[in-house]
Amino acid sequence: MKTMFIISCFLVVVSLGSVCSAHETAATDNAAQTVPALKPGDKGTAIYDGEYEFMPPPSPWELIRGGEGSDFVFGFYRKDPGKLQLESTFFAYSDEPYGYSKDIEQRADEFLKRFFWSSHVKMKVVDRKKTTVLGAEGLVLVLEGKDAIKGTKVRSKVILGKRGDRVVAFYINQWRASDSKFDQAAFDTFDRFAGSFRFLKKSFYETL
Amino acid sequence: MEGHQRNLYLYDRFDTQVVGVSRDDVITLQYWAKDLGITFPLLSNVSGWLGVLYDVQPGDQPFFNRRTMIIDKKGIIRYVRDGSPDYKDILAFLKKLNREEGQP
Repeated sequence: MKTMFIISCFLVVVSLGSVCSAHETAATDNAAQTVPALKPGDKGTAIYDGEYEFMPPPSPWELIRGGEGSDFVFGFYRKDPGKLQLESTFFAYSDEPYGYSKDIEQRADEFLKRFFWSSHVKMKVVDRKKTTVLGAEGLVLVLEGKDAIKGTKVRSKVILGKRGDRVVAFYINQWRASDSKFDQAAFDTFDRFAGSFRFLKKSFYETL
Repeated sequence: MEGHQRNLYLYDRFDTQVVGVSRDDVITLQYWAKDLGITFPLLSNVSGWLGVLYDVQPGDQPFFNRRTMIIDKKGIIRYVRDGSPDYKDILAFLKKLNREEGQP
């Protein structure tokens, strides 16, 4: 018999949609209180919130803060040239990627159930391989999807790794018109970001 | 709910059981739990009396407001937060409570 209980009241029917809107509000509220700083590190690196060091993308990539309640900690956004407004690229670091398992392979499957859920684009995994991430076991997934009605396509790369015993993720999404080409240079920038990433202190969970 | 599932091993460490409560029927909750892989108990309270008891029932609406409560071993509600659960805040509170309850 457990000594304490958490009672969590919720509603299934609207919870997925309401989570998104509530998280946006939470992220905005947090930003109004304390805005995590992006400061220069050594050898061209950048340090976010005194905790994450990495090679930052060159201009014109714009920093996007996520924070508590969001599905990413921070990321970088770039509006790309093209005939459609949505032609853009966004990449991010997430310390709470979709899913719940501590096993990376299992977490990847859970992650894919939720990733792109709200876009209604059916994503196909075109590559899946084990690799080293953050100096330990990791997994790289490359996905592509099309929206025939809107005339758009998207390519994503997801890198799953470990921080302590929990799974963390890096991901990049690039949207294009169906007849436009993907920009590999943006994926190279993302790879430099993820490959250079390191933690400057222990996570909340490692110190709990 | 997925965040709670992610933290079950930490709730165990603090001797805590998480329970979800909603006004959805059992079949809906079963489907939803299976789809999301939720393994902790989800309670169906279609009539909504639990919502009235915990003050999360907005008038005549057929749903509960989102609220997280932590109840200690004496049955006292020690933590109440509205809106989406703040999982780190919950864990930090459980750690504090666990330390308090471990004291003579």
